[in-house]
Amino acid sequence: MLLISLAFFISGAVFFAFAPKKGLHYFYLLYAAGAGLAAFSFAQALYNYAYSAAGAPALSFALQISPALSMGFKSGPLQDFFGLLLSLAAFAASVYSSGYMKGTAAPRFQGIFYGLFILSMGAVFLAADALSFLISWEAMSLVSYFLVVSDTESEAAQNAGLTYATMTHIGTAFIIGAFMLAFSATGSLDFTGMAAGLAGQSMTIKSVIFILSFIGFGMKAGIVPLHIWLPKAHPAAPSNVSALMSGVMIKAGIYGIMLMCLHVLGGPGAHYATWWGVVVLATGAASSVLGVLYALMEKDLKRLLAYSSVENIGIILLGTGAAIVFYSFGQTALAGLALAAALYHTMNHAMFKGLLFLGSGSVLHGAHSKNLEDMGGLLKRMPYTGLFFLAGSVAICALPPFNGFVSEWLTFQALILGSSTPLAYSKVITLLGGAALALTGALAAAAFVKAFGVAFLGLPRSPKARDAKEAGLPVTAALGFLAAMCLLLGVAPRIMLRLISAMPFAGLKEMGSAGPLHSPLIIAGGFSGFWPAAILVSMLLGLLIILALAGTWGRNRKITYANSWDCGIRALTPRMQYTATAFTKPLRVIFKTIYRPRKEVRISFKLKPLFVSGITYQSGITPFLENYLYRPLTSFVGKAALKIRHLQSGSLPLYLGYIMLTLIGLLMAWA
Amino acid sequence: MPLIKRWIEIFGAIDFISVGMLLSVVAMSSAKRIESCLKAYVINSWLLALLMAAFAVYLSIPHLYAAAFFTIAGKCVLIPYFLRKIIRDLKVTREVEPYLSMPVSLIISFGLVVLVYSFLASGIFVAGVARNVLKISVSIILISLFTMMNRKKAVTQVMGLLFMENGLFLAGFSLTYGMPTIIELGVLFDMMMGVMILGVFLTQIKKSFVSVDLDKLTSLKG
Repeated sequence: MLLISLAFFISGAVFFAFAPKKGLHYFYLLYAAGAGLAAFSFAQALYNYAYSAAGAPALSFALQISPALSMGFKSGPLQDFFGLLLSLAAFAASVYSSGYMKGTAAPRFQGIFYGLFILSMGAVFLAADALSFLISWEAMSLVSYFLVVSDTESEAAQNAGLTYATMTHIGTAFIIGAFMLAFSATGSLDFTGMAAGLAGQSMTIKSVIFILSFIGFGMKAGIVPLHIWLPKAHPAAPSNVSALMSGVMIKAGIYGIMLMCLHVLGGPGAHYATWWGVVVLATGAASSVLGVLYALMEKDLKRLLAYSSVENIGIILLGTGAAIVFYSFGQTALAGLALAAALYHTMNHAMFKGLLFLGSGSVLHGAHSKNLEDMGGLLKRMPYTGLFFLAGSVAICALPPFNGFVSEWLTFQALILGSSTPLAYSKVITLLGGAALALTGALAAAAFVKAFGVAFLGLPRSPKARDAKEAGLPVTAALGFLAAMCLLLGVAPRIMLRLISAMPFAGLKEMGSAGPLHSPLIIAGGFSGFWPAAILVSMLLGLLIILALAGTWGRNRKITYANSWDCGIRALTPRMQYTATAFTKPLRVIFKTIYRPRKEVRISFKLKPLFVSGITYQSGITPFLENYLYRPLTSFVGKAALKIRHLQSGSLPLYLGYIMLTLIGLLMAWA
Repeated sequence: MPLIKRWIEIFGAIDFISVGMLLSVVAMSSAKRIESCLKAYVINSWLLALLMAAFAVYLSIPHLYAAAFFTIAGKCVLIPYFLRKIIRDLKVTREVEPYLSMPVSLIISFGLVVLVYSFLASGIFVAGVARNVLKISVSIILISLFTMMNRKKAVTQVMGLLFMENGLFLAGFSLTYGMPTIIELGVLFDMMMGVMILGVFLTQIKKSFVSVDLDKLTSLKG
């Protein structure tokens, strides 16, 4: 089945290359069909793993390059899970693209690279050894780079692409380092072989591998402080691609971290060091809080969403880190809980961030601007986009009955149960992680109240926003599909938990068992629980009661239509509204140590001091990490590169001389 | 045949021929005219072919005869022909214009040979018939590389490259007692193509820079 889906993707790419330019966007439906098939087969494979004793891999394929070297792709439960996540998001994004990508600047280029991007991500998730993993990983990075810079007119996109390419290659260097170290310690490139070989190795080697792979994969996942490429690159790509980048590609980083930490380093009989978990946990806490703080200050809708991705990656890492801490103490049941929370949130984030990015693309299509201050009043003009964007916002704010609530609740429980670990510092750090998560949740709610409120409510702030229209059926259908997924995962968490319990990690099995699908979710032997189905039912009941009350009591009352809250001023204008900047002012004041807000008032006079000709006012926040970490670093690298440039004199005899010196050096070393 | 075998052994023909190759490289590195370089190359290639034939007789490896034949056809006839044509077409001056004077380059060549002999005095390849050949071939490679560094004209660079390839070939077949014929043929064919491409390339350099002097290439630097 996966092969048929592959055939769909390849034929899609071929059509994009050769078909006539008119109606080219409909070929995205081929990708959608391929992704749908893949989703089905991944779900089936996971279901088999969960429910029958011997689940068969959906795909197993190896290419023998030389006796010592082979390249393989093989799916297992973890691989299938990420494959499912990819294909669901890709399905929605492809359906969406068939409507959204009508009349773009470079339809062929974007169409082909879009298909390759999905394929390369699939290859990353299915790679069975370091070699095929690295090749797929690089393919994914390069293809996404081309998609980021596909807007050739915009200089910002080119700069974003440069930052992205540099960061991702530094990350890959760390990953290669980790793989090479693991290979030299075990003599195996295959992940399963590595896991078996590393089980008996010393803790020092394992720790070095852990650090290298955490930095390398963390770069792709967008952990603080390695996240700075993310808010630049994701918004620069077309919206269907940013949905995939934010929804799926950064999950490749999470997949890598889980693969290395839990599978390769945590093979059978492995011991974890507690401090690994603490490092992951602390990074997760920092990423979630800082990510959401910057998201809050953002006026650009897509950048806001990108920063919120940093935040959600942080939440996933909070769960992963807690799992490693629990594993290190042998508390497998709690580790299973934390890991299930992390995996669940990974899936959830793909759904609602995909939804929000696709929604932002629809908004961009309608209002012709990414700036929140140009929008407003879109709910009346784009009702479906508005509704689904609201669903996504509610989900990402972790409010029931949507999916974000379930995974964040599970993460919370895991972090609170961290107080049962034996060491004082692990107790403190898990509880602090819980506190960070609480802060993050509240701030995320503020950020998305701002995003939805400013964009969709009130009066339109620009003529273009006033004339906004829906982008057509495929677009709204894709948004609706993702919103439905969010709701489904929110009210029936047991479906996903059962699929998650198919993973071969200790403690996960228990998460999927017990009870029919609609029963309450009770964890850790009755420590806490909630009943998702009941929440939905009571919410619907509440709604019914309100409607009934309104119907009975309000029937005979007179309805008056008037401007809301105009305070007696008869003509409300858009300029009187609350702006995005004003909305977040209180938080800017509270967190001013982090934001370092600056404002600048410049007054120009015709005649000092009384005749003013103009006043300009500028305000903003200081990008802390960029100013104090990255700028010194890049200027140092730039200077060093200028020094090294002297080696490149351009003279051929000198280059030959380098070769000769190398040869003589090798001769001496060899002898 | 057994008689020839004995003669090869008695007169140390293999060592003699390879030393002859080394001498021809040294001659090339200190030659003043392009024609002399080309003649040195022809001599070098003939010696290479002769050495192959000697190996073929001495070790009774028949397919080395074929290799020797192809070497003669390619390196002694066709490549020199092309090179002559290139030199004539490009109308380059006859002098090679080295950076260093002849005595200095002779001393450096000598130094390189000493270096190679001192570092390769022991090792896995110092036994058997070909015990001296490896050292000689590495010396040939290094001296030709040095010559490439030392010359201003692109034509002489190509010549250095050809010598280097001869050295590599020598090392290759003397250590393995004959690579598979298909590989030897492939290498020869590559060489031919290489010379032809370099010919076109040199014409282009000449066209864009009005000279084949490689110092002018520095202006390409950004």
